[in-house]
This record gives sequence, structure tokens and C-alpha cells, in this order.
Amino acid sequence: MRITPIRRTVQIFAVAAMVAVPLLNLSGVNAVSGSFYSLSLGPLSLTDPLIAIQSLLATMRFDVVLLTSALIPAGLALVLGRVFCSWVCPQNILSELCDAVSRRLGLPRFFAPAPAPLARYLVLALILAATLLFAFPLASLFSAPGIISVQTARLIYEGTVGLELVLIVIILLAEFFLVRRVWCNHLCPVGSMLGLFHSRKTMRVVMVEEETRACIGCRECGRVCQLGLNPLADKLAPQCHNCGACIDACQKMTGDRRPLSFRF
Amino acid sequence: MSSDLLRPPGAVPEADFLSRCIRCGKCALACPYRAIRMAGLLDGLVIMGTPIIQARRAPCYLCMKCVPVCPSGALDGRVKKREQVRMGTARINKKECLTWQGTFCRSCYDHCPLFNEAITMDSELRPVVNEKKCAGCGICEHVCPAETTAITVISGGTK
Repeated sequence: MRITPIRRTVQIFAVAAMVAVPLLNLSGVNAVSGSFYSLSLGPLSLTDPLIAIQSLLATMRFDVVLLTSALIPAGLALVLGRVFCSWVCPQNILSELCDAVSRRLGLPRFFAPAPAPLARYLVLALILAATLLFAFPLASLFSAPGIISVQTARLIYEGTVGLELVLIVIILLAEFFLVRRVWCNHLCPVGSMLGLFHSRKTMRVVMVEEETRACIGCRECGRVCQLGLNPLADKLAPQCHNCGACIDACQKMTGDRRPLSFRF
Repeated sequence: MSSDLLRPPGAVPEADFLSRCIRCGKCALACPYRAIRMAGLLDGLVIMGTPIIQARRAPCYLCMKCVPVCPSGALDGRVKKREQVRMGTARINKKECLTWQGTFCRSCYDHCPLFNEAITMDSELRPVVNEKKCAGCGICEHVCPAETTAITVISGGTK
């Protein structure tokens, strides 16, 4: 069973939901509401952990309701890794598209930084420090999925979009012309925060020990990785967001032996 | 008289509101009258993305659907009844008000959701705002027939 078709289905569902929720709300159905900042499913409230922590820092107040609502997304990351990023996030969908088009056109990139977890945590720390310093929810302005979902709703409700979308345009231009997948891979604070919820039992891509000999050394796994990771050599966390492209490639090349696989 | 930007019902004081509100848009999605709008850059960089109400365009009908959906406490969940709402206070500009200028009109008085409490008539049947009761919903401002609305809500109630 290939992973990518399932992931694509989930992605399409996520985008459809992002458009459907404001439309439903507009027609008076309020069972589901919200955005990728904070989502309500009936009585259940889910909040992006980054946004919850940001509120804690900006208000210096321990809001139990808000922090509790971040537990399920954080728990999901703890068990399945950063699957929100690769399976749901609309920015990732745009970036994937952008990368596919730009590769098809054979555009050159000027920079190709090596995976550097420290850099992304530095960005996260800077944003959170500024949030604390200015008592202002800055992280909200750097949450690409939040911005895309809220502006989609705004377009449906008001027929206009806000300046927040400039960030998305900058990201896509940078990824198109300068650095491959730079936002998801090196900068995004939402992903960095989710990456912090990580343990030795978190789902990740590994070379299954019993199947090591099935590896034919084709290096296809590294070639298909949009984030430029090498599953055979690198320590994948926290850069890897479990999209499963390498596993699919591996399955194809090894004739369903699949030495590369998700493991807990 | 330009109209003030109002916050939705139950909003905590402005400085606190700006740090609490996570700009998630839930209150705007919950508003059946589309009175709550997400502020854009032209409304001010600092308030960008926060919920605002422009009463002249669309006032708050005090349906109270936005308050319970707020995840961050920027809208105080303890505000449940419309009588508790203090979005601002209506002020009458007597120079513009038709009734105060001698033409009979009772639009604001008739449309006030806190009927005969927040806006009352004085002995000469002229509208008067009762600041202790006014919720600041802006319906009066919305319905005022005077060309440059003679009654406006000044924002900045404490709750």
C-alpha cells in the first residue's frame, strides 16, 4: 500500500474543509468552526500549541482552557510526529505544488542549506521572545496555516483578504527562486513547536533492521525527499515531517520489500 | 462624526485584548449578521486580524453567539446576557439630531434592543442616552436617518 495517495486524499479533504467551514458557518451551521489557529469540533476545542504558548507569553496568564485545547494537537505530534505539517497544513500543499512546478521548469536555486535543526529553533525562540517582550501575539502573524485559513474565511465572508497574506507570497517566491522548501524545512515556527513534542517512541522513518539487506543502495529515498533529507544517513528528526515519500520510493525500487518504513 | 471601531461583546479592556486575541477569526465566523469583521492593515497595523465592528455599516444585534466561541479569553465568557455588554456608549450629537433640531424622529429610541432603558425620551420627546444601561451595540447609530449619523457609539467600555 502506497502512502502518498492516502496523504493526497487527506490533503484534499483538509483544503475542502478549510473552504467548507466558513461556508457552513455562513449558512448557520456552527458545529465546526474556526481556523488552523484554533478549531472547534462541537464541544471540543483544538488549538495550535504554538498559539497556546504564545498566549501564555503575551498575557503572562495561565489560561487553563486555552492550554488544554492544545493538548490533543501536541499529543498527536508526540505519537505520529509532525504529520500535521505534511498531511494537513495548507502551506505545505502550496509549497509542494510550488516545488513541483519549479522543478518541472528546471529553475536553478541559489542556496541549498543543509538541514539545521538549530536554526529553526532559533527562529522559534526569537519569535517567542519578541512575543514576550512586546506582549503582542506575534506568532499568529508567522503561522502560515493560520493565515491561509483565516484569509480564506475572510475572502468568503467579506470578499477581501488582508496584508497577512504577504508572508505566504514571500514564502512561495523564496521557495520558487531561492531555496527549496525553505519555510517548512528551516523557518516555520508552527512546525518547530510541533517538533518539540517528540520522544524516542514518536513515529519516524527507519531502515527496518531485518530488511536492511533488501536495500539496493539506489538512493531514491533521498532524491524524492522534498526537504532534502537522506533517510539512509541523516538523523531525520525534527526536520522530517513523515510525509512518507521516501517509503513509497523505496517500495517501488525494492519490489515491495520496503526496507524503509514507519516505526514507533 | 467618524464612527469608532467597536470590539465584539464581552471584549476585555483594549490593551489586554490586543495581547489576548489570537486573531483566529472564530467570533467573525460565528456572527450571523456579519457585523464582526477581521481588521485589515488600513484599520491599523497593531489591530490587524482582530475582530472589529463598524456600527454604521453593520451593528451588533447582541445575539451573544461570538462570546462563547472565543478560545483565548479575549471575549470574556462570563458575559452571557446582553445587559452585561459594555462595548461602548452611545452619544447624541444634538446639532445633527433631527428631534433635537425640531423634526420628530424616534428611530434610535424604537430600535434600541434595551428598549426604553438605554435610550429614553425626555419630557419633550427628545432621545436621551442612559449611559448606565447602554450596551454600545450601535443599532441606534446604524438606523439613524441623519446624513452624518447624529448618534454614535464611543468605544472603550470596561466590559
